[in-house]
Amino acid sequence: MTGPTPPSRTGTSPAKLSRHGRSRSSGSLYLLRCSRQEDGKDGGVQFYVNRSGFPIDSSTWDRMWTHVAALHPEGQEMVTRIRNASYLPKHPVPAVPTFRASMSVSDWLLTVQKYMKALQYNHTGTQFFEIKKSRPLCGLMETAREMIRESLPIKCLEAVILGIYLTNGMTSLERFPISFKTHFSGHCFHHVVLGVYCNGRYGSLGMSRRQDLMDKPLTHRTLGDLVAEFESSYQKYQHTLAKVKIGLYVPHDPHVFQPIEWKYLVLNASRLGAEDMKKELEKHGRDMKMKILKSSSAQSPIKERSRGKSLSPRRRQGSAQQLLVRRRDKSSSVERRPAELSTLSDGYQIRI
Amino acid sequence: MIKSPIPGMEPACRKDKPKLISTPTRGDRGRQKSAQQELKQRQRAEIYALNKVMTELEQQQFEAFCKQMQSQGE
Repeated sequence: MTGPTPPSRTGTSPAKLSRHGRSRSSGSLYLLRCSRQEDGKDGGVQFYVNRSGFPIDSSTWDRMWTHVAALHPEGQEMVTRIRNASYLPKHPVPAVPTFRASMSVSDWLLTVQKYMKALQYNHTGTQFFEIKKSRPLCGLMETAREMIRESLPIKCLEAVILGIYLTNGMTSLERFPISFKTHFSGHCFHHVVLGVYCNGRYGSLGMSRRQDLMDKPLTHRTLGDLVAEFESSYQKYQHTLAKVKIGLYVPHDPHVFQPIEWKYLVLNASRLGAEDMKKELEKHGRDMKMKILKSSSAQSPIKERSRGKSLSPRRRQGSAQQLLVRRRDKSSSVERRPAELSTLSDGYQIRI
Repeated sequence: MIKSPIPGMEPACRKDKPKLISTPTRGDRGRQKSAQQELKQRQRAEIYALNKVMTELEQQQFEAFCKQMQSQGE
């Protein structure tokens, strides 16, 4: 999963961490505050981004180790054990998937997902590949090639980019980002997967700490069904869905200069009822299929909508539906109340 | 009697020729590339060793959390 979009930074000085509420118990994670600007937060726990390329420069490298030393109960001992090891097993470089004509779309998706799983989910706290969501698609595809070249653990956003790259050219398959914002124990969590659509069915590709919040088979009849499946999975981890953002289909041409449209439709799950959400998602799915939607680079930016309609300002003012939605927003009758906060005091956050 | 030279007016023959900066040879570049490759391999090995440890930690913490929640529920 990702945190908020990291601010741009130029320096990579080693982290100086001040620790608050730190516990070394086996069931605990503790929140860290950094004296300098953070790269991002993953449900209250900071993470860093490698911007130095490969090999990773010494300041980024040292920062990674300082960070994990603060997180792990064995701290510096664990760090020293690995860094000073004279022999470390060589993790095999997984073979890059190659498409064969005999493969079905589902087979290919399984192959791509298997490849991403072989890279592993990145638990180190340092994201190795910088992904700027506003970058042109062609630039992000270059990063995907780097991910394959360097063969390192990845997180959810990197998996989306890699998934796009590895499914480029499969024109019967459409890909689009699905972003989730959830709440757990007073913290916000962000996650993103790559929604896929083929021949009337929806599924997903992705990477997550949780097995049921990443890939989904191409069996869901509607986009609403797919998102409902994710919501159900989130509930198992006591996460309450706050927002869902659905993007537009990503072009198959890897040389396209336009950026990915990440949030064409933004649904406030805490305000919309389950049925309304499903209706909006299904409408968006139909519109995408009919290819009548244009990215925000081709029109004015899309604001968050509770109803999903893109109305001109004049229509918006006069729309009874919009008024109803606004009234509905103010009332608590359709608002989904967040689950009670976890009462566990040792600070562990179920991150996605 | 030797007159001291006027500052700024040195004889042409004593003009120092600029020293040639040695450009990296093909061999140097090859060695540098090889060293970088070795460093990358070592970093990759350490990253995966670290990731194994941190994945296990996350799993332990998650299981402990679930047990705690279960016992609280009971």
